[in-house]
Amino acid sequence: MDILQSLAAGFVQVFVPANFVALTIGLLLGLLVAVLPGLTLVMGVVLALPFTYSMDITAAIILLTAMYVAGTYAGAWTSILFHVPGEPIDVPMLWDGYAMARKGEAAKALGWTLVSALVGGLAAATVMVLLAHPVARIALSFSTPEYFAIIFFGLATVVSLGGGSLSNALISLFLGLLIATVGVDDTYGAQRFTFGVPILSDGIDYLVVMVGTFGLGEVFMRMEQRFRSAPLQSINTVATRLPTLREVAAAKSTFARGTALGILIGLVPGAGATVASFLSYGIEAQYGRRRKEMGSGIAEGIIAPQTAATSSVGGAMIPLITMGIPGSGATAIILGAFLLHGLQPGPQVFETSSHIVYAVFASLFVGVIGMCLIGYFAARYLVRILELPEVMVSAYVVMCCILGAFAARNNITDVWLIVVFGVVGYACERLRFPVAPMVLGVILGPLAETNFMTTMISFDNDWTTFFTRPISGTIMALAIVSLAYPLAQHLRRRAAGAAR
Amino acid sequence: MRTILLRALPYLLVGGFSVYLYGVAGRIEYHHRAGTIGPDFWPKLVLAMTIAVCLYETLRIVLSRGQRSGASGVLQNIVERSEARYGEGYQHVEARSPLLLVAGIALTAVYVWVIQRLGFFLATAPYVAVFIALGGYRRWTLNAATSLLGTLAMMYFFMKVVYVSLPIGGEPFAQVTFALMRLMGIR
Repeated sequence: MDILQSLAAGFVQVFVPANFVALTIGLLLGLLVAVLPGLTLVMGVVLALPFTYSMDITAAIILLTAMYVAGTYAGAWTSILFHVPGEPIDVPMLWDGYAMARKGEAAKALGWTLVSALVGGLAAATVMVLLAHPVARIALSFSTPEYFAIIFFGLATVVSLGGGSLSNALISLFLGLLIATVGVDDTYGAQRFTFGVPILSDGIDYLVVMVGTFGLGEVFMRMEQRFRSAPLQSINTVATRLPTLREVAAAKSTFARGTALGILIGLVPGAGATVASFLSYGIEAQYGRRRKEMGSGIAEGIIAPQTAATSSVGGAMIPLITMGIPGSGATAIILGAFLLHGLQPGPQVFETSSHIVYAVFASLFVGVIGMCLIGYFAARYLVRILELPEVMVSAYVVMCCILGAFAARNNITDVWLIVVFGVVGYACERLRFPVAPMVLGVILGPLAETNFMTTMISFDNDWTTFFTRPISGTIMALAIVSLAYPLAQHLRRRAAGAAR
Repeated sequence: MRTILLRALPYLLVGGFSVYLYGVAGRIEYHHRAGTIGPDFWPKLVLAMTIAVCLYETLRIVLSRGQRSGASGVLQNIVERSEARYGEGYQHVEARSPLLLVAGIALTAVYVWVIQRLGFFLATAPYVAVFIALGGYRRWTLNAATSLLGTLAMMYFFMKVVYVSLPIGGEPFAQVTFALMRLMGIR
């Protein structure tokens, strides 16, 4: 009953003019960012952050969350219509979405995308509201070993679930953890890796690393490719045709699987919408009722990735709000926005600032419905942004990156660091080192170290504590299994290859 | 041999740098408390793991004669399997222009260097214009209009709406910034 009352108050907050305007702007920006192939969802949320500095905290978080959820939806439009995925999330849409469009059913494919985003988004928002408070209550009983185990699990999954070589992902993660150690350490106050540079004593802000690697690094990458995008077909005939209720009911198990998987993946710190989308498609292709027809342009191939991608947002908000642990790039920026406005998410947040939390929860419901309405009526206008020269958009992306870094601390060294991390981000992409583990390492590194050190000091340097306490032990075991799984899979494949 | 060296180079560089940093971590100064681990423990642990992975990869590359790593994340496996079955996701880029990349990085570095000296407007408008031109966009009037109006709009938004103090530049360039601020009603 308490939850319903708080949620009702949250809905009232969402319709306060300032918050509603923030929500609408966030949805529009999120949809536009998702449509543009050179601009990823995380990059978009990063670029929007400096614009929220002077905003009220509720409006700021609502804007960024709206961008996050809308960013999981609109990229599918360009995959379906032009065979150009707006986001990495939308690559699976190329296989069935584009195939359906080629059969002359583009409007139907867009309709399935809309319904999938709506179902996944609303279901995940409901689960988020129902789970958040109980999870926060459980988290109140957590001590440092449990927190360390959760973070370790998050770091392990970002390596094991991600793309590319396992070794490269590990190195990228370690570099991130190392970057996070620069500056004065929290426990002893000792200077680490500062090399006599005063500004390094404050450490390297994770926002600088994020903006540099995700924002500038991507622009450098596109620059090297001369901003060449795939030629687009005519965009005069964009329309959405919704599936009938009977068609939706026939695909109910795909909706359920996609949504459940999306929420679960979102809950895991480290895995995000991209993993959810691919994994859901993979599971549908392996176990779905029409698995043999996957790839030929069937609804299940659209529903599975889209429901999972959108529902992962609700899942990812749970560890962020209840434990202050961001599970993805976008939630890390939302955490940054919380901290910039002086609010630390965590178990206590339901006692101290529940009105803000429930306003954000309510905004997700309104946001999901709003983005689908905008998608239904305005997709044809929003995809016209693709006619804008990419180099022009990129020039302003660089400017926003630099302004964002400068505005955070009014320090030019941060701007230099952004350029450095832009080059690092580019080099990582070129050398096939995934950037996401590095960024997550920088974000979660200080939390991991603090909880590790506190545990070691409190438990007389006994590292087995992490394994002997029931909750932390279970989570550590899960983390080790998740790390060992791809290795075992590799060894099995090699053995099978040798046998052949 | 060249392929092996090229493939192993990133790991040798990261591994070598990690060894150097391990030495630096050993010289971190702090008041040691008996029976507790110090502030050097965590970075040393991370560095040791980095060195171990780099060493493993280098050895693997040498022993497998330059083959790429076989063990990959779950997502990679799904992508590879799906691409083999349904066709490629992303179109692979063939043409690259390292010169353009270097020019872009240099231009951005120069921009960061001059922004404090010239101020936001005088540094940003030319930067955006040159960036767009470098990227191959040749409609000069539109380019000039976009860079000028875009920069002014950004300046107005950040200084008037978001209250972020952008660099005003040193004298005499600061006078241009002040004049623009007066025109826009920014105090």
